[in-house]
Amino acid sequence: MTLTSTKRLGATYELQRGYRRMIYPAVIAVGIFAIVPLAGMFALAFSDYHLLRGTNWQFGFKNFARLLSDQRLMNSIYVMSILSFFGVATQVIIGTAVAVGLQKIVGRWRFGRILFLVPYAVPHVAVALIWLSLFTPTLSPINAFFDLFGITVPSFLTTQGGAMFAIVMADTWTNFPFAMLIILAALQGISPDLDEAAAIDGATRVKTFFFITLPLLMPALLMVTLFRFIDSLKHFPMIFVITKGGPGRSTQATNFYAYVQTFQNSNVAYGAAIAVTLFLMAALISFYVARLNQRVSQ
Amino acid sequence: MKHLLTTALVASFALAAPFAPTSAQAEEINVVMFGMPYTRGLQKLAGDFEEKTGIKANIDVIGQDVFENRITLSFTGRSGDIDVVHAPVIQVQRWVQANWLKPITAEVDAMPVKGDLMAGPLDAYRIDGEQFAVPFMAATGLMTYREDVLEAAGVGVPQTWAEMLEIAPKVTDGDQSAIALRAVPGQGFNMFIFPMIMRAYGGKFFADYTGGDLTPAINSPETLEALNVYSKLINDHAPQGAGNFNFAEVNAAAQNGQIVFAVEGTGVAAQIVDPEKNQYADVTGLALPPGGPAGRSPAIAVHGLGIPASAQNVAASAKFIEWAVSTETVTKIALSEPFANFTTQPVAENAEVIAKYAAIHPDFLQVQADALNLAIGHYRPLLPEWPSLGAAIGENINAAVNGLITPEEALENAEQEMRDILGQ
Amino acid sequence: MIDKSPEYRFKKALGVSMMLLLVAFAALPTLWALILSVRSPSAVFEPIWESPLALTLENFFNITRSDFPKALLNSFITAGSATVLAMIIGVPAGFALAKSRVSGKFIASWVLLLLRMAPPVGFVIPLFLLYVNAGLIDTYLGLIVAYMTLTLPLVVWSMWNSFAQVPDELIEAALMDDATLTQAFLLIVLPAARPGAVAAAILAFLVAWNDFFFSLIITRSSTTTAPVAVMNFISFDSVDWASIAVASIALTLPILPLMAIANRYIVQSLSGAVKG
Repeated sequence: MTLTSTKRLGATYELQRGYRRMIYPAVIAVGIFAIVPLAGMFALAFSDYHLLRGTNWQFGFKNFARLLSDQRLMNSIYVMSILSFFGVATQVIIGTAVAVGLQKIVGRWRFGRILFLVPYAVPHVAVALIWLSLFTPTLSPINAFFDLFGITVPSFLTTQGGAMFAIVMADTWTNFPFAMLIILAALQGISPDLDEAAAIDGATRVKTFFFITLPLLMPALLMVTLFRFIDSLKHFPMIFVITKGGPGRSTQATNFYAYVQTFQNSNVAYGAAIAVTLFLMAALISFYVARLNQRVSQ
Repeated sequence: MKHLLTTALVASFALAAPFAPTSAQAEEINVVMFGMPYTRGLQKLAGDFEEKTGIKANIDVIGQDVFENRITLSFTGRSGDIDVVHAPVIQVQRWVQANWLKPITAEVDAMPVKGDLMAGPLDAYRIDGEQFAVPFMAATGLMTYREDVLEAAGVGVPQTWAEMLEIAPKVTDGDQSAIALRAVPGQGFNMFIFPMIMRAYGGKFFADYTGGDLTPAINSPETLEALNVYSKLINDHAPQGAGNFNFAEVNAAAQNGQIVFAVEGTGVAAQIVDPEKNQYADVTGLALPPGGPAGRSPAIAVHGLGIPASAQNVAASAKFIEWAVSTETVTKIALSEPFANFTTQPVAENAEVIAKYAAIHPDFLQVQADALNLAIGHYRPLLPEWPSLGAAIGENINAAVNGLITPEEALENAEQEMRDILGQ
Repeated sequence: MIDKSPEYRFKKALGVSMMLLLVAFAALPTLWALILSVRSPSAVFEPIWESPLALTLENFFNITRSDFPKALLNSFITAGSATVLAMIIGVPAGFALAKSRVSGKFIASWVLLLLRMAPPVGFVIPLFLLYVNAGLIDTYLGLIVAYMTLTLPLVVWSMWNSFAQVPDELIEAALMDDATLTQAFLLIVLPAARPGAVAAAILAFLVAWNDFFFSLIITRSSTTTAPVAVMNFISFDSVDWASIAVASIALTLPILPLMAIANRYIVQSLSGAVKG
C-alpha cells in the first residue's frame, strides 16, 4: 500500500481500478448466499427459538450465559481440539511425505500417483462406513488376517482414545490427498537448481529438505493447514457414522453437539449459539493465520 | 472485457427466474418416506395409485438420517413441499407439539379401511382425542437363536435374561460368542433394546407414566440390575468390540455365524432367519425376547403416514394414505418385499402371505403376533421430549457399558438429565 | 549422483519402504471397497480367503436400477458448473489480490475464509428459509450457487499463492509494452501459473463433488447429488454395504481421468516446460 511499491509496479489509478474490478465479482458472488445465512445464524443465537417450548422472539444473551457453565460444551471443545490437531497434523505430514516421495518418482511409475488421489473422491459417508467396518473387530479383514496368526487386534471403538484414533484415521485417509496436491503443486514452483546447488555445497538430502525446500513450501503448508483446520472444525460425518458420539459422549465434537441441540433437543437457538461460538473461535484463529499468510506471500 | 462479462453472468444468475420447485398441484402429491421394505414396495406401486385416482404420487424414499434433517427443515420452514410424510410414532408427539402435523381425525374416520387396522398401533397416533397418522407397520423385538448350537450344548431357549446369562458361557466356543445387542447411543439404537431388559426387571422411566406422574424414576435398583445384565452380556458374552454395535453389526455377526443369540427388531430378525440372506438360516430359530421377574416386554416401533400442517391438498393426501394402508396394497407389498409386520389385519389372513412367511420360517408370523400382543404401546414413552430424553439416557447407558462411568453414575446422570430436559 | 555406498542404499531402502507403507495406507481401504463391491450379499463380511469364489457382478446391475446414476449426473452438472464459474470469477480475483496494492485486500481474504468456516448446523435453518423464499430448493441453480461459496474461496486462495510466485517484473515488462492489465493477465501471467490453475480447478471440483451438507439441505428428489444418494443405502433395518461400495467406486472412477490431466501438467512442469 506504500507509494513506492505502486510506482515500482508502474501502477496508475486506472491500473488499480482494473485490479479492483477483478475482485468485485467474487465478493458479490458469495456475498448474498453466504452473508444472509450467517446473519441469520447470529440472530438465532440471540433468540429463544425452540421447536417445542414455543418461541416469544425475545432476544438476549441467555444462550451465551448458559454456554459458560455448560460442561458438555467444554468437553466437546476438548474433543474437537484433539481431533482437529491430530487429524490436521497427520494429514499435512502424510500429504507432504507422499508429495516429496512422488516428486522423486519419474518414468512409468509416475501414474501411480493417481492411487493416492482416489481416497479424496470417496464420499465421506462411504469413507466413514468403510473405516467403521475396518474398526469393527467382527467385520474387519484386518482382524481376520491377524487372527490367522493368533494375534488379537484390540477393539478401538469402545474406548475414548481408540474412537478418536479411528475418526482421525478415517479423516486422514480421505483428506491427505488434498494436502498432497497442494504441496505437489508448490514443489513444482521450486526450481530444481536450488536442490542441485545445495547438493554441490555438500548438504545432505535431509538438510536440503529442511533448510531449502521446507521454507519455500511454507506458504503452501500454511494454506493447507489453514483450510484443513477450518474444515476439521466442522467435523461431522465421521463422528456421525463411526461412533455416533460414543462411547458415551466421549467423541461429541462441538459441531456434533450443536447438531444434537438443534435437531435432537429441538433447541435451535442454543444450537445456533454453539455454532456462533465455534465460528468466532475459527474466525479468531484464521485472522492470525490469514495475517501470517499475508506476510509470507509478500 | 472479461470481468464485466463475469459480473453480468453472476448478475444474470441472481436475477434469472428460478425454476419453480416441484410444487404439489391438484393432481400431484409428494410423499417422503425413509428406506424400509414397505416404503420401497410402496414406491414401486405408485402407478397403481395414479391409475385408481388420477393423482400422481411422487414417492421419495431416502435414508433415515437424510429424512430426519429434511423433515425438520421442511416443517420448520413450512415450505409446503411435502403432502404425506412417514411418521414414526416415537417422533409424532414431538411433531404435534411443534404444530407440524395436521389432525386428520375426520379424514381417518371416513376411511373404510379404518376398521381393518390393528387397534393398538392406530391408537398410538391418537393424541388428545385427535388422530394424527395412520399406521402401516409395527416392528417388535424378537430373538433369534442357533438351534444347532443350543442342541450341541444341551441347553434350551432362554426364557429370561437371567437364563440367558446362565446359558451364555455354555454356548461360547472360540470364535463364537453368545449374543450381540445394539449398543451405540441413540433413542433408536441402544434405547430400542435396553428397555426390554429394564422392563423385564421391573425398571421404568417414570414414577407412574400411565397415571400421569412424569417424575423421572430411572435411577432404581431394578434398572441398575438390568443395566448390569446388559453390560455383562455385551462385555463378557458378545463379540469383541460389541460396545459399539448397531443393528448392521449385529446382523453381520449373525450372518457370519459369530453369535448364537440376537435380540433385534423384526426387520433384522427377518433377515437372520431368511435362507436367501443367511447361510445359517436353516438352523436358526425364532422366539420371543427373554423376560424377567416383571414379565416380558418386547420392544415395539410403530410407523405410519401423516399429513404435514403445511400440506396444501389434504383430500388428495388422505386418499393416498387410505390407498397405502388398504388390504389390497399391503398384501401386494407383503408378497413382493420382506414385509411381515404390517398393521392391516386382513392381510394376515391371506393364504399366499401366510405361505410365503411360513417358507422363510415356520414360526415367523406366530412369534411376531405373540410379541405384538405382549408389547406395551409406551415401551418408549410417548412424549414430545422423547428424542432428547432417549438420546441422553442412551449416551449414559453406553458410557456405563464401555466402562467410562459406573452403572450407578450412569443412572444418576440419566435421571438428572431427564429432569433437566423436562424442566422439572 | 551415482552413489552406491551402503549408507546410501540403506537410506534408499528406508525411503522406499516408507513409500510402500504410505501406498498401503492409501490403497488397502480402496481394495477393501473393491472387494465389498463384488461380494455376494451373503458373504460380504467373510474373509476373502474363506470364500474366494462368492463373487458377483449383480451389485453393479442393482445400482443402475436405482436413483444413483441420476444423482451421479447431478453431481457432475453442479460440481462442474460451480468449478467453471469459480475459476472465471476467482482466478482474476486471486491475481488482483496477489499483485495489486488495493487497500482492504487483507479483509477481503479474511472474509473469504470466514465464509468457508461457518459451522453448517448453525446456518442451515436461515439458509433453508432463504432458499425457500428465493424458490431455489431442489434446483441446479441453487446448488451451484451454494457450491460457489465452497469453491470460490479455495480458487481465490490457491491462485493468490500461485500468482504470488510469478515475478512482478513479468507484469511490468508487459505493461511497459503497452499491454492492458487484462492482456498482461491473460497472455503472460496466466500461462505462467497454469499448473497452479489446474490444481486449483481440480481441488475446487473435488470440494463441490464431495459436498454432503448443502445437497442434504437444498435438494429433493430431482437434484440430489451422489454423496447424499449414498446415504440412502442406509435404511431403517439394513445397510447395503455392497451398493455403498459400488457407489463409492462409481464416484471415484470419473475423477481418475481428471487426475490424469492434472498429471500431465505436473509432468510438463517437472521437465521444465513451465517455470515460475
